[in-house]
Amino acid sequence: MALSSQQQDPDLRQEVEELRRKHAAAMQYIRAKTDQLLTVMGTSPLRPEELDENTLIELDPIGIISDSFVQVLRHLKDTNEQLQVAHDEITAIFESAGMGILVVDPSLRVLAFNRKIEEQFGLGRDAAEGMICRDLLCRTVMDADCPALQAIATAKSVRREMDLSGRHVDTIATPILDKNGVISRVVLVYMDQTERIRAQDDLKKSEERYRDLFENSTDLIQIVDANGSIQYVNQAWRAALGYGPAEIAGMSIFDVVHPDCTDCGPEFKSIVCGHKGGRFETLFITKERETIAVEGSVSPMFEGGVFLGTRGIFRDITERKRAEAEAAAERERLAVTLRSIGDGVITTDIHGAVVLINKVAERLTGWRQEEARGRRINELFPLKDERTGEGIPCPVDRVLQTGAPCELEGNAILTGRDGRRHLITDSVAPILDRESSVIGAVLVFRDITERKKLEDRVNKTEKIESLGVLAGGIAHDFNNLLNSIIANIEIGLRFAGPDGEVQKSLARAQKASSRAKDLTQQLLTFSKGGAPVKKLASIADLIRDTADFGTRGTNVRCEYELAPNLWNAEIDEGQISQVIQNLVINAVEAMPQGGTIRIGAANRRFGRAEHPALAEGNYIAIVVRDHGKGIPREDLNRIFEPYFTTKPSGSGLGLATTYSIITRHGGAIDVESAVGTGSTFSLYLPASLADAPRPERPTGPLPHRETRGRILVMDDDELIRETAGVLLDLLGYDADLAPDGDRALDMYRRAQQAGAPYAAVIMDLTVPGGKGGKATIRQLLEIDPQAKAIVSSGYSTDAVMATYAQHGFAGIVVKPYTIEDLGAELQRVLGKN
Amino acid sequence: METIEIDIRGQLCPATLLVALKEINARAALLRKGAAKLAFLIDNRDATGTIPESAANMGFAVTVERQDGWYRIEVSAPH
Repeated sequence: MALSSQQQDPDLRQEVEELRRKHAAAMQYIRAKTDQLLTVMGTSPLRPEELDENTLIELDPIGIISDSFVQVLRHLKDTNEQLQVAHDEITAIFESAGMGILVVDPSLRVLAFNRKIEEQFGLGRDAAEGMICRDLLCRTVMDADCPALQAIATAKSVRREMDLSGRHVDTIATPILDKNGVISRVVLVYMDQTERIRAQDDLKKSEERYRDLFENSTDLIQIVDANGSIQYVNQAWRAALGYGPAEIAGMSIFDVVHPDCTDCGPEFKSIVCGHKGGRFETLFITKERETIAVEGSVSPMFEGGVFLGTRGIFRDITERKRAEAEAAAERERLAVTLRSIGDGVITTDIHGAVVLINKVAERLTGWRQEEARGRRINELFPLKDERTGEGIPCPVDRVLQTGAPCELEGNAILTGRDGRRHLITDSVAPILDRESSVIGAVLVFRDITERKKLEDRVNKTEKIESLGVLAGGIAHDFNNLLNSIIANIEIGLRFAGPDGEVQKSLARAQKASSRAKDLTQQLLTFSKGGAPVKKLASIADLIRDTADFGTRGTNVRCEYELAPNLWNAEIDEGQISQVIQNLVINAVEAMPQGGTIRIGAANRRFGRAEHPALAEGNYIAIVVRDHGKGIPREDLNRIFEPYFTTKPSGSGLGLATTYSIITRHGGAIDVESAVGTGSTFSLYLPASLADAPRPERPTGPLPHRETRGRILVMDDDELIRETAGVLLDLLGYDADLAPDGDRALDMYRRAQQAGAPYAAVIMDLTVPGGKGGKATIRQLLEIDPQAKAIVSSGYSTDAVMATYAQHGFAGIVVKPYTIEDLGAELQRVLGKN
Repeated sequence: METIEIDIRGQLCPATLLVALKEINARAALLRKGAAKLAFLIDNRDATGTIPESAANMGFAVTVERQDGWYRIEVSAPH
């Protein structure tokens, strides 16, 4: 039908043609636009054969592509938003970064920089943008050192450490490439290291400082880990223990701690537990195996609650320990020395307070060291003047004030705490320190009470000795005079006859002379203490005579218990008589109210060691017993000491003389006494079993004169000579007299030559200024070995008297002698033939 | 996740692209949510260039896998 209508209507045809043309144009347009859009989408145009018009309309490519554009646009928008966020983030990072960031283009023109750059380099934003970065920051940097240029040249990140504007900066330059791989810009990051390097330097310096401190410390410093391995020790530690630095590694603290340190184990555990880190002392062993003492502290080290080890600081105190030990020993030595000193020693401080007091001072003052320490010296040491009784100021105070030593001699009396008084001498010296300042005083004193007594006694002895010499001298002369008096009285008596007043008065004179003789004997014994001139004698008679004599005129009487067959003894009758007399006088004085002295004598045999002072043998025991006041116990062992006396007027010689006489006789004397009951003295004298001679006692008128022989008398004293001559004449001898030894020898020789030798020679022992008997006897015996010489002397001190026989004498007569003494001795000597 | 497979093998390039775009447009919301992905099976070599570029411009992730004589192009949500 359409064909027909085209055919029917040309207009229509024309219109159809028009419509066809417009349709074709529209299709052409759609196809062109579709191709354009496809090109935009990035694909090739549609080929006509690919889509026919209907399909083209139906497919609606423009619609599809439009929809796709919507998707693309949406995606772009999302992307833009994300980019914006990213940009904002980068800007924030850029501005807030802790490092400077600079962006330049390849010609180093500044494009951007952050706030840190402004701060670091003081750049103003307006002034800097568009400038070349080298002109702003690093004007002097060479191209080779410029990180930005290097980054551009190598297209890689370049890092450089640089000094910029006085700051040390770590710079990283990173090139940024565009999509064509061309470097469009360079990002420079500046990290300021100045503070870090300064901190590093500070740390290094600090470390060096501490290392220096540790290494130069004189203390021993160690760090030990939890297993005991040594981590660090300082130079002083190594020096003290003798290890080199290289030897420390691998060492354990247990190589060093002395095994004797028993505290160390528990101590270490305690420290590990964090309990304790106090000071303590221990012993270390050096490499050379020597022990050193150390003192110090150890403390634990923890990190996060975990025990890491210990640090210890020690000091070598070996020297100090040694010095302490030496000082202690020195103190001990000093203390022992001080305490052993025989003098009292007290030291004080500067205030006069007692620091030390030795044993002797303790005894004398009565204060013990513990009580005395710290007290004022005056309290311990009160002094008084011996004569006036007034207080004496303590010399210590004066020395502390003046600093000059002083001495106190003689008269100070120290009264001890117990009230006892001691006569003392003392000296005080200041104790000075190194600067010679007085820091105390030392007082040394001595009890001279005994010494003073001794001195007094010595004085007394000397006095008595000189008295004795005087008395002895007088007695000697007196003896000679007495000899003549006695002899002449005897002569007188013989001529006077038995009755009448003359006889009586001569008898009284004889008795008085006899007493005078005893007195001179006693005086001689006192003064010279002579050796006994022993003769065999009967003790009983001697005791009775002497004791009766001693009690005469007192209210004390003697009772005797004398054994009937008493042995005889070889004794010096004068001396033993003196002994009995002394004992009796003492007994009388012990009984002022009167009483009885019992005197006993008995034979006694002592076995070996039966009596401590007597040899085995026969003795005569004489006991003198009183019931007087007795002798105090403390005096008993002193009564025989010379000059010991309890009597106000006593000489102190009586018992001393007694003692020496008895011991010289080979005997002993004992005493027993109790206060209130009396005293008993026991004497033991060696007995002789020989009979005592019974001297003839010629009485009445002289016997018929007969010549018994010629006797030569040698004596320097004319009176003695003459008297001896008369006595010898009376005894029936012919006497010749010689004044000295030479004359006597001469006469003896002549008599011998004349054929009328002397029967005996009586010689004075000593002839002042001439030859005495002692010197003459030898020559006499040379002339006549058979010569009979009798020695005669008042002195019985001379050893010759005691041992006359050894000197060649045949006999002895002690002046003054009686006619009986002389007759008996001559008879004895001549009868020996 | 659902994979919607569209086989447009045998078509020429522009038409292939247009068909693919039409399918992507129609399922854009699903794809963006990650609820599904599209797998186009094609045998037109040119389309292995045009489809991925267009899908990438729209913000999708695209993978191309060569198969035996054809290609599998997967379009999914952007990463």
